[in-house]
Amino acid sequence: MEAIEHAPIFRLPGIPDHVTYTWVVMIILAGVAFVASRRMELVPRGAQNFLEVVLEQFQALIDDVIGPEGRPYLPFIATLGLFILTGNLLSLIPGVAGPTANLNTTAACAVIVFISYHAIGIHKQGPGNYFKHFMGPVPALAPLMFPIEVISHFARPLSLSLRLFGNMTGGHILLAIIFFLMGLDGLIGWALSGSAAGAIVGGVGGVIMVIFTVGFLYPLKILVSVLQAFIFVMLTMLYIAGAIEHADHGEHAEHHSGHH
Amino acid sequence: MSRSLMLAVMAVFAFPGLAAAQAPAAQTGGWVGPFAVIAAGIGMALAAGLCGLGQGRAVAAAVDAMARQPAAAARIQTAMIIGLALIESLAIYVLVVAMILLFVQPIKG
Repeated sequence: MEAIEHAPIFRLPGIPDHVTYTWVVMIILAGVAFVASRRMELVPRGAQNFLEVVLEQFQALIDDVIGPEGRPYLPFIATLGLFILTGNLLSLIPGVAGPTANLNTTAACAVIVFISYHAIGIHKQGPGNYFKHFMGPVPALAPLMFPIEVISHFARPLSLSLRLFGNMTGGHILLAIIFFLMGLDGLIGWALSGSAAGAIVGGVGGVIMVIFTVGFLYPLKILVSVLQAFIFVMLTMLYIAGAIEHADHGEHAEHHSGHH
Repeated sequence: MSRSLMLAVMAVFAFPGLAAAQAPAAQTGGWVGPFAVIAAGIGMALAAGLCGLGQGRAVAAAVDAMARQPAAAARIQTAMIIGLALIESLAIYVLVVAMILLFVQPIKG
């Protein structure tokens, strides 16, 4: 990746870039939360109003997907979603490395989700009851169902982490290649070189590529950032709902396991 | 016609090997690298095309359902986005494999 992507401008010596910018995201989120909750009012204004709207959206989503019994997991889900969304959007600023464009960060989030939803399932219905659902509905098929279920559960954190990492990194490579083609080594450099052909072809091409980047690629990246954070949170909620739901409906909860 | 096409395909596939065979081995580091680039490109092309087909079918069915039942549009849209993410993750796996082939280069030869 170092072949085409520049290192970020601000670096701490001896510390990997994604860790540095994870701390930046933490500082941003903690700062916003501190400013919003410093003087809490019954009728919210300003930052408090904004954060309450955001959290109400998360709560509506949880009520929609998990149901009212998912309310205790609002802090976990909202923290995960805000961290990933801020990390995704931070990586759009030039000269800043996004923490979610590194597999270590996304794998950490996915492993947290994996451990959490198993812990929630075991806590809600007891270890014996929970692992009995791994055996499938028919006892005779249990030796066949158990490995398939285990593999599918282990595939969940893999796909969660790789999806976020691949989307972010693919977008960054695309932007890096466009900037590389566009910059002083590419079309704009050709336009400034003084030759007539360079001024015509490079100038027109450079203007077209700047318009394409600002008008299409950046909005697309913003859309992808929001969408990937939404999908990560949505899948987390579906996994938690699947871990909880078996306790309530027994055999009828099978339709949720077809999602992966 | 078909013979020239076959020759062209063979030339495309043989070229990195030939180029590596003619160049000094110390500079290029073997013939696996150029084939890894070709494999990354062809794999990503196949994955992107088939992923587009699959996502197109999913979106077509979802839009059809939304047009028939506008009251359920929000729920259909949520399910569609989740499905699109799960389809897209297959192409993302190929992207990760392509990036491993291009940047990490685990197989030296």
